[in-house]
Amino acid sequence: MKRTAQITLLILTGLGLLHTALFTDLYLRYVKEGLRPLLIISGVLLLLLGLAHAAFDRDTGGKEDHDHAHGHDHSTAPRIAWLLFLPALSLLLYAPPALGAYTAAHAGRETVKQQKGFAALPATSPLPMTLTDFTTRVQQDKERAIRGRTVEMTGFVTPGHGGAWDLTRIIFTCCAADAQTVKIRMYGTPAPPANTWLAVTGTWHTQGALGTKSAAAALDVHGTRSIAQPVNAFTDDLPLTPTR
Amino acid sequence: MPKTDELLDVTEAVAPAAVHPPERRRRRLPRRPPPATAAVTALGLAIAALVLSGTPWLNGPAVAAWRTVCLAITVQALPFLLLGTALSGAINAFVPADLFTKVLPKRAVLAVPVAGLAGAVLPGCECASVPVANSLIRRGVTPAAAFAFLLSAPAINPIVLTATAVAFPGSPAMVLARLLASLATAAVMGWLWLWLGRAEWLRPVVRHTGHQHGHSRFTEFRLGFQHDFLHAGGFLVLGAMAAATFNVTVPRSVLDTFSGSPWLSVLFLAALAVVLAVCSEADAFVAASLTGFSPTARLAFMVVGPMVDLKLIALQAGTFGRAFAVRFSTATTVVAVAAGVLIGGALL
Repeated sequence: MKRTAQITLLILTGLGLLHTALFTDLYLRYVKEGLRPLLIISGVLLLLLGLAHAAFDRDTGGKEDHDHAHGHDHSTAPRIAWLLFLPALSLLLYAPPALGAYTAAHAGRETVKQQKGFAALPATSPLPMTLTDFTTRVQQDKERAIRGRTVEMTGFVTPGHGGAWDLTRIIFTCCAADAQTVKIRMYGTPAPPANTWLAVTGTWHTQGALGTKSAAAALDVHGTRSIAQPVNAFTDDLPLTPTR
Repeated sequence: MPKTDELLDVTEAVAPAAVHPPERRRRRLPRRPPPATAAVTALGLAIAALVLSGTPWLNGPAVAAWRTVCLAITVQALPFLLLGTALSGAINAFVPADLFTKVLPKRAVLAVPVAGLAGAVLPGCECASVPVANSLIRRGVTPAAAFAFLLSAPAINPIVLTATAVAFPGSPAMVLARLLASLATAAVMGWLWLWLGRAEWLRPVVRHTGHQHGHSRFTEFRLGFQHDFLHAGGFLVLGAMAAATFNVTVPRSVLDTFSGSPWLSVLFLAALAVVLAVCSEADAFVAASLTGFSPTARLAFMVVGPMVDLKLIALQAGTFGRAFAVRFSTATTVVAVAAGVLIGGALL
C-alpha cells in the first residue's frame, strides 16, 4: 500500500468514526453509548496520523523497496490494510441499518435473571414498565402484584408464525455482536408491520401460573400507539412518553 | 554510463533528466501487481459496484444484519486496537531495550507466570494485547512470557473482572474462578511453548529494531504505530467478517440442544466463544444470559473467549504467521477448557 493510499485510509477511517460518533448518533446502532468518547478520540487520532503522514513524511519513491539497511520498512503498509477501506467507507457512505425484527426472530427467548425481592408497584395506571421487568414480575414475583394491572411497554414489532407477534427489544452490552433479545407475546390485535415502534398498553395474558416459571411473558393488548424510534434503541429503558 | 541504460534512454525519450540512473533502471522493470493485490482490488470494485447500484440483495435482512454486526465488531474494537498499537509503537521507540530483560526473572520458567500476572495492568479487551505482545518479543522478551501476557491480559484486567462481578451478582466465586482459570491457562501455555514451541513457527519479526541513532524517536513512534495499526486493522476486519457470519447464521435455538449434557455443554460453549468473538469486556454478560447452562460451562465460555476467537486468530495469523496461529489457538482452546473444567469443578 502506497503513501497516498495510507493517508487516504487513515483520514477516511478517522472521518468515518467522527461522522458516526461526533456528528451523528449513528454509532448507537453498533455499540453501546459509553464507547462514544473512545470513538471520538480514535477518530481524531487517526485523522492526525493521516495528516502528519501527509505533512512530514516525504515520498521516497521506490527506494525503500530494496533498502533494508535501516531495519523496519514503515513506508509501505501490508496489502491486508486495504480491507480497512470497507468499514471506513461503510461508516461514511453506506451505514448498515439498525438490527431489528430479523435478528429478534432468530434469537432465542432469553430467560431473565433471578431477582430476590420485589418493591411494591407504583399506583399509576397505565404503569410504565420495561420488557425485562415485566417478564421478571410475571415469572418470579410470588406476591403476584402484576395481576390485574394495566401496564405500558414500548418496543418494536417482531412478527411470528400464524399471525402471532412479539413486542421486542434488542439490548447491547457492548456492541451488536452481543445483542440479546427480550420478547413479550402480544394477544388480541393483528400483527402490525415488522419493525414498527409501538407503545402498548394491556394486562397480563393469563397462561400458566402467575409468579412461577410457567407463566407466559405475554400481554392482552388494550391499545397500541405508534411512537418514534428512540435515539438509543438498544437498551431496555422505560417508555419515555408524554403524559396524556 | 552502462550500455543498457543508454538503450533504455532510447525507448524512454521523455524520462526526467533529474532521475539518477540506478533508480531509473529499477523503474523500468515491469511492475505487475501481485495476485493478492489484484484480488483485493477486484473485490473492492465489485463491492463498490454493488453498493452504487443499490442492489436490493445488499439490503436483504440477513445481509443487512451481517453488515451491521461486522461493522459493530470493527468499530467496537478500533479504539482498543489503537491503544494496543500505540503502546506497541511506544515500547519500540521509547522503552530501553534492556528494560524488560531487567524486570523479568532471568529464567524463562519464572518469567512466564510473572508476565501472566503483568497482564492485569493492560486495561481493555483482547485486540490490544496482540500488538503489545508482538512488540515485547521484538524487544527481546522471551516469546513464552510474551504469550502468557497475551493470553492473560484481556481476561484478568480490572475492567473485565469488574464486569464479571456485575454480571454475576451474588457469586464472587465466578470472578475468582475466572481469574484463576485464565491465569492458569496463560501460564501453562507459556510453559508449553518453552517445552514444545519452535521458533520457526513464528514469522521472523526481527525487522523492528527499536530506536535507531540519528532518527527522531517521535517519528519512529508515529510510523511504527501507523504501520502496526494498518496491519492489525486489516486482519481485524477479516476476523470481524468471519465472526459476523457465524453470529448471523447460527440460530440461538441450537443452544437448547446442548444445555442438557454436562460435558457437551462445556465443549459447545467453548466453541460458541470462539465463533461469536464477543469482546472480553462484554462476554460475562453473555455468559450470564446463558442460564440453561452449568456454571462450569459458562466459566469455560469466559476463559476461552478472551484467548481464542475468530478475530483473534486472524490478528495472530497476521502478526505471528499462520503456522503459529493455528497451533497456538488449538492448544490454547484445549488448555483453557481443561482449566475451566478443573477450576470450575473445584470452586463452582
